[in-house]
Order: sequence, then C-alpha cells, then structure tokens
Amino acid sequence: MPEKEVKLTNEVGLHARPAAVFSKAAAGFSADVTVAKGGQEANAKSIMAVLKLDVKKGDAVTIATEGDDAEGALEELVTLLGSL
Amino acid sequence: MKSLRGVAASPGASVAPAWLHNQASFDLPTDTVDDREAEIERLREAIESVAQALEEQASQTSGELAEVLQAQAMMARDPELTTTAEGAIKSDGTNAARAIIDAGEGYAEALAASESDYMAARAGDIRDVCSRIARRCLGVPEMDIRAMDSPAIVVATELPPADVASLDKELVRGIATQEGSRSSHTAIVARSLGIPAVVAVSGLMDAVADDSVIALDGDEGTIYVDPDDDTRERTEQKTAARTEHRAQLLERAREGPSATRDGRVIEMAANIGSVAELRSALEAGAEGVGLLRTELLYIDRPEPPDEDEQVALLEQMTGFLGDRRLVVRTFDFGADKPVPFLDMEAGPNPALGVRGIRLAREQPELLETQLRSITRAAENGKLAVMAPMVASVAETEWFVEQVERAGGIDAGVEVGVMVEVPSAVLVAEMLAERLDFLSIGTNDLTQYLHAADRQQGALSYLQDPFSPALLRAVEQICSAARGKAWVGVCGEAAGDPAWALVAVGLGVTELSMGADSLLEVRVAVGEHTFEECRSLAAKVLASGEAEEARRIAEALVS
Repeated sequence: MPEKEVKLTNEVGLHARPAAVFSKAAAGFSADVTVAKGGQEANAKSIMAVLKLDVKKGDAVTIATEGDDAEGALEELVTLLGSL
Repeated sequence: MKSLRGVAASPGASVAPAWLHNQASFDLPTDTVDDREAEIERLREAIESVAQALEEQASQTSGELAEVLQAQAMMARDPELTTTAEGAIKSDGTNAARAIIDAGEGYAEALAASESDYMAARAGDIRDVCSRIARRCLGVPEMDIRAMDSPAIVVATELPPADVASLDKELVRGIATQEGSRSSHTAIVARSLGIPAVVAVSGLMDAVADDSVIALDGDEGTIYVDPDDDTRERTEQKTAARTEHRAQLLERAREGPSATRDGRVIEMAANIGSVAELRSALEAGAEGVGLLRTELLYIDRPEPPDEDEQVALLEQMTGFLGDRRLVVRTFDFGADKPVPFLDMEAGPNPALGVRGIRLAREQPELLETQLRSITRAAENGKLAVMAPMVASVAETEWFVEQVERAGGIDAGVEVGVMVEVPSAVLVAEMLAERLDFLSIGTNDLTQYLHAADRQQGALSYLQDPFSPALLRAVEQICSAARGKAWVGVCGEAAGDPAWALVAVGLGVTELSMGADSLLEVRVAVGEHTFEECRSLAAKVLASGEAEEARRIAEALVS
C-alpha cells in the first residue's frame, strides 16, 4: 500500500476550501484513500472525516492509497496538497 | 415593548411581523420501519435532491458563500455520513430522518467542540444539511426563507448559507440574528441587496415569539419587539424616507448617461464575478462592467476551463449588456490564490510572487485560451481586456502582443492594464502610449505603495484610499495618460462618493464598483460640475493627511 507524508504549509491547513478541494479530488479516484494525522485515520473521500481531523498549518499528514492506480492517485493527491 | 441592541450590519429601517427561522421546528419520529430497503432508497433520494438544490444555489452566487454551499453539497453526499445512516436503518430499522440526524450529530458535536470558530461554524453547516435531508424524508416543507409568503423580518440565531443565498428582498424587510458579525455572510449579502440588518443581538431568540412584531433600525443597530406606537411611527417614517430617496435616485439615474452637472460623461460601471452579479448591477443602473473577475472560472477544478466554456460565459454576459462595455480582467491567481491544476510554489511572500501577468508569462497557453475566447465574444459585444499586476513597459508590450496574436486587436477589443504596482505609476506615460486604457486597482495599489499587508488589521491605517500617496498616484496616472488613454478606477474607493468626486476632478472617466454603491456615486457626480471636482481635487491634494483629506471631500458631498 503506497503512502507518503506531507507537511501542510498553507495558511488554513485542511479547513474550508482546501478540505473541500482535497476530498473532491480524492473522491475522483477508484482507489481507497486515507489521510492520517497523529495516529488518527480518516477516509479522504469524506469531507466531514477530513474536517474532523482538524489539520492545521504545519501539521504533517500521511496519505495512503490502495486499489486501482494507487500509485497515480497518491502522486496526484500529494501534489494537490502541496499546492493548496 | 422590549428594546435590544446589536451590531448595525446593513442600513435602513423597517417594521414588520417576525418570521422565526427555526431549524429544529419539526418532530423527529422515533418509530422504526419494516421495509428497510425502501427506507434506504428514500434516504438516498432525499440526499440527492438536497445536494442538487445546494449545488444549484452555489452556481447562482459567488465568492465565499458559493464555496460554503458547495461544501454543504459535499457534506450531503458524504460517503461516511451515508454509510453510518444506512447502517442504522439496516441494523435497527431506524427511520431515515432520525438516522441522518443522528449520523450528522456525531460529526457536528466533534466539530462544535473544536477551539476554532471556523470549525464550530462548520458544525452548524452539517446540522443544517442533515435537517434539510430529514425534512425531505418526512415530507415536511422546508422552513427556510423560500417558504416565506408574506413580508416579514427574519429572526434567527444565525442564517444558514442556503438561506442567505435565497434572500428575496421583496419579502424580507429586515434581518435580525443573535449571532454573527458585520463580516458574516448574512451581513455582506444583506448590504448588497439593500436589506436592513442587525446582527449579534444577545437575547434575541428569547425575546421574540411567533406572533411578535419587530421594528428594526439597521443604522443604529436596535431591535424593538412589539414596538409602541411612537417607535413604530418613527421607524416607518424612516423607511418611507429611505424608499423615496432610492426611488428618486433610480429615476434620475435612468434619465441619461451618467455625467457631471455640466455634462462631462463619467461611466458608472460594475465590478462583477458572475452572471447573477451582472444582473443586479444592471438593475442598479450600471452602464457597463469595469471589472469582470475571471478567477471563479478556474478555482476548485482539476482542469482549467476551455475556450468554448469561456466564450459561453462571456456571451451570456454580452447578451445582457448589449452595446455596453465588458472589461475582462485576465486571470488573477497565482502564488496568493493557488489553483489545483497548477503546481506552484507559494514562495516566501505570495503577494509579491508569481501572480497575475507574471503567471501568464509562465503559462502562456492559459492566457492564449482566455484571449481567444475574448476575441470570439467580441463578435457580439463590446469587449475590453486588461492584465493584472503589470509592473513594467516590457510586460505591457508582451501583453499587447498576446492580445494581437489572439486576434483581439483586429476584433476591436480595447487593451489595458491594471495599475496596482507603484512601478507602473512611475512609467504610466509609457504604458498609456501603448494602450487604450489604464484601470487603477486602488486596494492593491494602496497596499504596495505603503508596503503594508492589507490583510493585517493592525496596518489598516495605511490602507486609507484618501492617503496623500494614493491620491498623488492617481493624479500622476491621469496626467500621464491625458490624450493617450482613458483612465478608470476599479478598486473599492470608486464606490465612495467623496473619493469618486476627487477622482473625477483628477481626470478619471470611468468608475467601477459594487452594485450597491452605483446610485449614490452616480448622484454625487451628477450634483457637481467638473470644475467643482477639480477644485476639490486640488484642495485634497494639498492635504498631507488622509483624515483631513477625507473631511474636506465629505464636506462637499453632504
């Protein structure tokens, strides 16, 4: 299961618009996608679960993907997180 | 009579029956169901119809409100929420309405407990979405603002975004909320629609009953519950005076093109981001569009819009505008406003980073698509195009070349640049020689002139549009452009009648602003001669202090 750690550098972390953009992008892949912070894991396709993680600026999250095109999905989502 | 104080959020006054917006005003059944599969199907249908309604509303509005509505649509379709609710139906036979409310509450409580105000507000969004789905499951009509059928003052703890987006100014005579601030969605939208509003009224929900009458004063920030005759009469008079004043303004505005009293034509244009905003601007008498922000087309999507999509939007707008001008600002995102389809480094100082035309130079194909769509739209409309963040003659020449290559010059598209970087002010004469127009972006120009971040509250004293430096910059731009290019203003300052008179005196011939300011500015300009504006400008320029300059200008308006 490919995974990668990303540090959030944008001002609002994974709140507001970035959370919606990220979840929407994750939902576009058929692979399962999880985002984890400090041992807590959430379904990246669920905006409510992502909001509940409360990811702030400077937090590191781990993205993991499994299933069809897991590698491609991981790469795109990591890039997206870097550009939010 | 009870009187309550809050924060004056939108001017005006009115007296009307209270219309209580109560999200929890339906009974949640406790009974279980036998046909669990059918109940799950019912839930799915309710979710889909609520999500679609929210998306529909999002597409009719813009900015932050549209973003919140889109996020709410995603919440409705949230896979975890659905799984939890469907699980309760499948295992316990819980009815669909209760299942969705319970599932949503699990998330809402977690978010409400967060320290951040932002997260707590999202808890409200989740509860609002789930209550809409539950109502749909039960066949209970929406108690939102669309259910209003007679004029009233809306009383709420806080209005959910979907209600704010569907405010109807014919029915909503006023808005009173217990929570909120002058910068909440409710206040912003109320101001743009001209609905009086008072927010942050503590004790409001306890003081108002279903059959209360409310007198609301949005200038003073007061609410009277069941007002006595005196109060009622005073408030009604205030309303009548205001209505009459607006009617007079509109009538005068329709008499001919906007001009100074002695006939110097000053175009009153609008700043817009969507077709809905264009329509309300035209209702308020806009004579054109001085700034179409195109960013909305690009954000929140994995791929940029293609040429056909952009042409379709522009043609929809020119359809409404007829022969009135549409100034399109090419995309203004970049380091400060990232988009998902570009991999960009924010850099240490995004406001000074790769954005606006700087980004266009790195991504010429993005600009080319946009310019070609403008050329095509010019077949059926009066189009102009301007680039943001231009800092030099070389960038200007490059931009003109791109417009020419996309066929814009041959199609009669006017070409200009935003003047919002101090270096552009210093070379304004050379820019004007190469362009049809210059449009001054006062917000960014003030920020960059003073090297003061406009997002920082502590530096707001350096963001005054009456600052001597900004006024001198406007003077320099106008005299540099005289006889070469026309000069417009599309920053917030254009919507301040006193500032607008100074700008006219300095030589500006187009003022572009939010729809809600159009009438006031137009009347102020129409009441003064060009000579009066010039002498005002001279006096204001002689002042070395923003406060004093403002007092001088405001004295002339009143």
